Amino acid sequence: MSTAETVLNVLAQVSRTEAVRDHLDLRLYDQHLLDSLATVRLIVAFEEAFAIQFDDVEFEREDWATPGHIVAFMEQRLGK
Amino acid sequence: MIPYATFTYFGVLLYAVVPAVLLGMLFRRIRVWILGASLLMILVQYSRGLVAWPPTLGREFWLLCGYALFQLVLVSAFIRIRQRAKRRGVFIAALTLGLLPLVLAKAQPYLAPGSLWGFAGISYVTFRALDVIIGIQDHTITSAPPLELAAFLCFFPTLSSGPIDRFRRFAGDWERRRTRAAWLEDLDGAAHRIFTAFLYKFILAALIKRYWLDPAAAEHGLWATVSYMYAYSLYLFFDFAGYSLFAIGISYLFGIRVPENFNRPFLATNIQDFWNRWHISLSTWLRDRVYRRFTLAALRGRWFKDDRTASYLGFLLSFGLMGLWHGTRSFYLLYGLYHATLMAAYELFSQWNRERRVWGEGLGWRVAGTVLTFHVVCFGFLLFSGRIGPDHA
Repeated sequence: MSTAETVLNVLAQVSRTEAVRDHLDLRLYDQHLLDSLATVRLIVAFEEAFAIQFDDVEFEREDWATPGHIVAFMEQRLGK
Repeated sequence: MIPYATFTYFGVLLYAVVPAVLLGMLFRRIRVWILGASLLMILVQYSRGLVAWPPTLGREFWLLCGYALFQLVLVSAFIRIRQRAKRRGVFIAALTLGLLPLVLAKAQPYLAPGSLWGFAGISYVTFRALDVIIGIQDHTITSAPPLELAAFLCFFPTLSSGPIDRFRRFAGDWERRRTRAAWLEDLDGAAHRIFTAFLYKFILAALIKRYWLDPAAAEHGLWATVSYMYAYSLYLFFDFAGYSLFAIGISYLFGIRVPENFNRPFLATNIQDFWNRWHISLSTWLRDRVYRRFTLAALRGRWFKDDRTASYLGFLLSFGLMGLWHGTRSFYLLYGLYHATLMAAYELFSQWNRERRVWGEGLGWRVAGTVLTFHVVCFGFLLFSGRIGPDHA
């Protein structure tokens, strides 16, 4: 499975919204699909899915604004 | 002299601002003048009797100098240790030391009444200093040249009451070479904010205070208190948002694009939304630095059966700290606890509502949400004002 697919799987699960798979420009925080707790749940879920540990969790909400942003963010973090 | 409060201050401010604009036109970076103007304005802001001859430097000025030197030494030492190894114990020690001057300044009324251990703005500067220490631990900050760090900590426009900038963001502007177009853009951003600031602080806030807040404060009884609640909330917004706009506008003139602090907070449709719009630089600091770190540690370590317990404790911790940060009076703590409870209740409700769909999505619901949030928030400010509550005689 590609990084993008895994990221979207995890995101769909944590946000409990299947639409995130097809709508990469969905505004996750504006649409109340993510909040402060969901952000932390996502970090932990990504850490488990990719067997990594985030050193730096000081990103802004704008960095995770849409599913597309999160995919790009994770690809960059995983060095791809 | 209190910043942005009197016309004398604005007169003196011209000596810092006019050269900044002219130098910005001639040079791509004006870093030397950022330091020079900060020193000049700090001398003015923290000196008593500057108008008298010979001028005397106040105790606050020397406390600020000592404080800045202390943080500079602490940060340099911590960077060196961190380069060798990442150790939790050292990080906690560095955080504690960075926080110590603020704790002492807040504890001073109890320990040494009548003395002066802090300076106006110490709580804001401390948040900026802790930001650097946390960044070093995360390795997002690997160097902090002393002059750049001093400029960040003591940048005069935001020294006394924020907004709380972040070192990585500040460093980007500090390095930035402005084109003529960027200089004009900054000038435009500054002019717009400074004029809005005059409207907010010297017209709207001043009118509310004179014709509504002060009369309501003098009266007693339930209706007077309700009236006072609205007046105080509106006054607080226009006064603080006005102040913030002055600070941001003046910063732009120096090429430092300090983050915004308010985004129409009274139009928030729920309490979470409100905290994304009110005193943004403080609430995002607490959300990212305290809430996120605490909840993350709890979820990673599986401290609780339910994730939500971690979240509720995270709110309690961040808003409790916010209350204490405002001051040690009990109504500040009460204000923090009140908002922590609201945030937890809202989180519980919105999860419950996802399944049940009791609270709808349409315009009517949004208006209802805004009206409800406004009142809940105003009641919070009434607690914050100290007019009602445990300390009230």
